Amino acid sequence: MDTPSQTQLDDRDWVTSRPPALLEILGRVLTFPGTVVRHRDLIYSSVRRELATRFQGTLLGFLWPLVHPLFIFAVYYFIFTKLLSFKMPALPPGQESAMGVYMFIGVLVWAAFAESIGVGCNIIVDNGNLIKKLAFPSEILPLNIVLVNIVTMLFGVAMYLVGTATTSVWDAPGVLLLWVPLLLLLQILFTYGLILILSTLQVFLRDTAQVVSIGITVWMFLTPLFWVPEAIPQISKYVPWIQMNPMNHLVFAWREVLMNVSSVLTTVQSSVNGDTIYRANEALTRAGFPDSQLLTFDNPSAAAIQQTNELLGQIEPSTNVVVTQLHLSHDLMQSVGIFGIWAVGFFVVGYCFFIMAQRRFADEV
Amino acid sequence: MSAENSLEVEGLGKSYRMYKSPFRRVTEVLTRGAIRGHEEFWALQDVNFTMKPGTSLGLCGANGAGKSTLLKVLAGTTTPTTGRYRMNGRVASLLELGAGFHMDFTGRANIFMNGIMMGYSRKEMASKVDEIIDFAELGSYIDEPVRTYSSGMGLRLGFSVAVAVDPDIMIIDEVFAVGDMYFQKKCIDRIYDFKKRGKTILFCSHSLYDVRQLCDDAIWLKNGEVAAIGSSVHTTNEYTSFQRDHIGTEGASLADEYPDAPGAKDPTKQLPKITEARMYRMDTDEEAYEVHSGDSIELRIWWENPNPDTMPINLGMGLLRQDMTTCGGMGTHLDDYKLEGTSGCTVLKIPNLNLLAGQFLIPILLMDGEGVHKYQEFLLPENLVVRNETKEVGLFRIEHEWAAGDPTPAKSKAEAQA
Repeated sequence: MDTPSQTQLDDRDWVTSRPPALLEILGRVLTFPGTVVRHRDLIYSSVRRELATRFQGTLLGFLWPLVHPLFIFAVYYFIFTKLLSFKMPALPPGQESAMGVYMFIGVLVWAAFAESIGVGCNIIVDNGNLIKKLAFPSEILPLNIVLVNIVTMLFGVAMYLVGTATTSVWDAPGVLLLWVPLLLLLQILFTYGLILILSTLQVFLRDTAQVVSIGITVWMFLTPLFWVPEAIPQISKYVPWIQMNPMNHLVFAWREVLMNVSSVLTTVQSSVNGDTIYRANEALTRAGFPDSQLLTFDNPSAAAIQQTNELLGQIEPSTNVVVTQLHLSHDLMQSVGIFGIWAVGFFVVGYCFFIMAQRRFADEV
Repeated sequence: MSAENSLEVEGLGKSYRMYKSPFRRVTEVLTRGAIRGHEEFWALQDVNFTMKPGTSLGLCGANGAGKSTLLKVLAGTTTPTTGRYRMNGRVASLLELGAGFHMDFTGRANIFMNGIMMGYSRKEMASKVDEIIDFAELGSYIDEPVRTYSSGMGLRLGFSVAVAVDPDIMIIDEVFAVGDMYFQKKCIDRIYDFKKRGKTILFCSHSLYDVRQLCDDAIWLKNGEVAAIGSSVHTTNEYTSFQRDHIGTEGASLADEYPDAPGAKDPTKQLPKITEARMYRMDTDEEAYEVHSGDSIELRIWWENPNPDTMPINLGMGLLRQDMTTCGGMGTHLDDYKLEGTSGCTVLKIPNLNLLAGQFLIPILLMDGEGVHKYQEFLLPENLVVRNETKEVGLFRIEHEWAAGDPTPAKSKAEAQA
């Protein structure tokens, strides 16, 4: 009889019942890019097929992914710019659509994430027949879902770029667009990692999808899509908690890249706190300052803020709270960094978890 | 371990965990296995065999005997619970035709997707797509969505993709007898071609003819264990004789092979059966399975029929060449020959067997009084091998002679008559 160590050595090119060793799993995490390259044809074809399936047989076909974001934007633009504008009197020219754009980008990013999770959760179970009948790498399936939704999101981003370049709704984004590839990569890793965990759990416990659908709804309201954390004084003490939400950083980073975010937040803040701003503005005007100085703070320097606050304090002591709140999460680099750690963490944990459970999928689905 | 084997399997076993409810699973996970929530079901136990390139192995056995499980493990879609295996060469498995087909896409698009799923690049598929389309012979349907296909057409497409790739080891799960007779023949030819080119074929089928014809060796699986292993003729005979002996005692395997037989559900009711059949040189006791064209042979069939009054029987015999060409078939009901009594031996005499060289499979059928329903198919212990010394081609030696005739051309003769 062989000693156990000898047997293991002999087993090298055999397929056995032995689960993959830790080193093997880590090796597969590290060689993940290689796996993707090796199966690039499969990934490309599946993503293309999935996209085609969505629009095959429809009248507008591939125009649909463009119509969708356009429509969302139109709704937000209408509601927040035209319908509610009378409540926000102090918006300077050229920035009336701030809130609409702010929400549009949030929704676009969130939709790509949430839809991936919703579909991805069931991806292994739904493809049970494929997994039982064809020997192919099942870790490709969740990746496809993520990529399909990323592509759909990019249609929206493209629409936004074209829209801002050709109309005066909003200023077209500039050099910050160089961040887009990194943002995309991290968003893919984050979503993929989460789906790997959830779809594996769903194989063994079918309650997972139910829990996830509730969880996603709660998560959506915890992410600043329709509200501006900096502009609501009541929640300012919860800001550190909001910072724990990785999606907050992702959405923020996208907004910063696609909008000129510091000016936006000033404007948005003024629109939410319109009353205070209005009074501050009036006071400043009375003191001989033009409106725009407060309302179109493009990257206000610390000195400028201090100066303004002092000024406000002198004229109208009750309003000096406004400007100091501007700098809560205004660091793109930091947000991308924090989200990056989340993304890599989720990916590594999710991938290892998936690899360990993968061998049992065919028996359980 | 010798490197010349294309497939080696050692002590392979597979068990499934069955949880009665999700709560049991949660309990088991939470207590880290201290409370066992599952029951184990062994679908496969202790399977050992090796295969060399150019050989083929068939799997036979009743439903649920573990055939598909074994193929699934070897195809790599599921992992073994015990034991190990290894393969040498590129593997293609065909566990289900058209797995992964997308109904809304055209046949052509599905060819690409299916091939890529099986691990081939788009380039490889692009170079093969014409060949696949030719083989499938779907005409203009190839550019129609697959949902417009009949089920037979879908199978054609699936098979065409699967065999177009060029694996060293092919794993097939009773799928290739698909479509109409014409296409079946094409499939079988293709499989033969694989074999001739030194590929290894592992396949499972309920058709014992297929197992015998295509396979050198066979394994008979019974309740997940190897009941017999050896030459395909030997193994299939073991299997059929087991089934014969267990009609009425093993409900499951019985229902499998005799789905409509009266009494199949009632184990106490005795069914007619063929107990033995052998081929002899005519009027001698010399068993013969290798004969020459023109020899005279006879087939002796021993049968039992417990209820001749309520259940009259007929016997039939067929001659099938290895490529599935039917060369002849005869039955007692066709010749108005009555089988009487509760048991007996019936002899079928064939003087001057004028088949030309070839290997022939002799299925013997036990049929009902009308010769419509088939109670049992019995296989001779060996295939019939016919040799001939002449160089004639074809299936039969047709009685003929050559002679000199009238030298006047036939046309002018007709004119002269007019």
